[in-house]
Amino acid sequence: MTITEKIMARSSGKDKVIPGELVWTDIHSVMTMDFLGKQCFEKFRSLGKTEVFDKDKVICVSDHLVPPPNQKFANMLNEWREVVKQHDITNFYDLGRQGIAHQIMVEQGHVLPGTISIGTDSHANTYGAVGAMGNAIGVTDAAVAMATGKAWFRIPKSVKFNVTGKWQPWVMAKDLSLHIMGMMHWNGHLLYKALEFTGPAISSLSMAGRMTLCNMTVDLGAKNGIVAPDVVTERYLRNRTQDKWEFLNSDDDAEYDQVYDIDISDLAPTIAMPGKLDDTVTIDKLIGTKFNKAFVGTCTNGRLEDIAVMAEIMKDKQVHRDVNMILVPASQTVYLEALQAGHLETLIKAGVAIDTPSCASCAGLHTGVAGSGDIVLSAGNRNMAGRMGSREAKVYLTSPSVVAASSIRGEVTDPRTFDI
Amino acid sequence: MVKGTCWVADDYVMAYDIIVSEHWTSPIDPIENSKIVMSGVKEEFNRENGFKDKGYTFIVANHNFAGGGKSIEHVITGLMGAGIKGVFATSFARLQFRNAINYGLPFITCDDIHLACETGDELEFDEASGIIKNITKGTEMQSVPVAPFVAEVSESGGLMNYVRDKIAKGEPIG
Repeated sequence: MTITEKIMARSSGKDKVIPGELVWTDIHSVMTMDFLGKQCFEKFRSLGKTEVFDKDKVICVSDHLVPPPNQKFANMLNEWREVVKQHDITNFYDLGRQGIAHQIMVEQGHVLPGTISIGTDSHANTYGAVGAMGNAIGVTDAAVAMATGKAWFRIPKSVKFNVTGKWQPWVMAKDLSLHIMGMMHWNGHLLYKALEFTGPAISSLSMAGRMTLCNMTVDLGAKNGIVAPDVVTERYLRNRTQDKWEFLNSDDDAEYDQVYDIDISDLAPTIAMPGKLDDTVTIDKLIGTKFNKAFVGTCTNGRLEDIAVMAEIMKDKQVHRDVNMILVPASQTVYLEALQAGHLETLIKAGVAIDTPSCASCAGLHTGVAGSGDIVLSAGNRNMAGRMGSREAKVYLTSPSVVAASSIRGEVTDPRTFDI
Repeated sequence: MVKGTCWVADDYVMAYDIIVSEHWTSPIDPIENSKIVMSGVKEEFNRENGFKDKGYTFIVANHNFAGGGKSIEHVITGLMGAGIKGVFATSFARLQFRNAINYGLPFITCDDIHLACETGDELEFDEASGIIKNITKGTEMQSVPVAPFVAEVSESGGLMNYVRDKIAKGEPIG
């Protein structure tokens, strides 16, 4: 069996599962957040329950609406706090302890290798970075899981990406994500599939890079993305969870729907053109393209490693006068670590505006939304019309290193040739 | 057996355009969500009840219907509130496929059905056999059969009813 099949088999109390089979599985944890959470609890109560299956395993996060930019959001947040309190939830990451839900789930040890965690936000696929099965679900599934500790799944076929070669300087996991997006497209091939990333170029990735890679598998249409746990995972989880876990991996004779070999030695910084995620180009096609807004943050690229790369590129330089640049760290922990490392001082001196952790403009809800005619260079995860605000704005998606180098020049710039 | 007219979607009809971002934080409510459903898909739908007033019963689409990766259930409740009784496509984005199953709205896989239908055609769908008849054109297509669990959830009127019933009876789930 593949690692995903093994996780689903053990979570459903079976020795073996086969793709296509429908099973109910145990859930290790279920996450919901501010703008949908109240409805989860209401639906949960409508099932005739008043206490959740495990108070420690229902994780509540304020991320999309905080800090409230208007009265509507402020009122929604107050109702949300009330309902979380009413259910005596142990792990509530509200403003002050907040972060983007997926960052919180991994960073605070709420996902565990070899288990299934679900969340009411599409980028729950991120949890695969630690060798868990992370899956996005709707409010209904969350309510059912809160009541029963279970969710239904169809066992997906697995697709393997065997990634070899040596990462070029300034080329990041995001470039691999966008490269695969362009190679596979949204349409069809990877719908409902479990994507497994393996090979030396994955082993050498930090947890931050693995999170980026698994995070964007939802945008490929996949069911989940996963990296088998290894020494990097163990080191990362050591101080984050007391729960026991094993080094689960795919069997040598595991069956895959498809296997793709990717050599990243020649992988160039890659950019998704405005409007469609799979319309990607290598950076040489866009050199010199002007933009007026730059954004780094989100559950895809708002981690310490991403901020460190920005700081290294932007040290003692100035953001171009025609560009407004915003950084939103993915969590309070990331924010503090970036502060302690001196990165935030470097970036503030360079003219980067830094805002408190949240989903920010990635969800188009607040903090730096795009207006009509804006051209945004973003290290986020989506670029459809209206995603970051105005439907008349254009959003290019790329890595933090490209955003950093380009923001100094005021035009799309290859960090590999930038004078750092 | 359900009968009615269809709307044939263009490629890349995304969840984002079915429910545009300013409504993501609204309550999940079929009547409210149906007023603005599809407002980002076409200019003619971009007014209150713009899609609903067309009176379509079915949607026909190609690949990855309701894609773009949004898990919000407003997409499904909006379509249901607008009177949609079935969506037929070559493939569906998994988040909304799942939500549709949970709400008991038939999302039926049928290869290349978009090539066999035009907007306004009258279709008839037989849930038991999976046969989709295009009455206007006098053709019929066999869709991919629905898994027994999915049919069971649909008969219960959705996953909430299905689970609520199990809990009330003290029966195990799965």
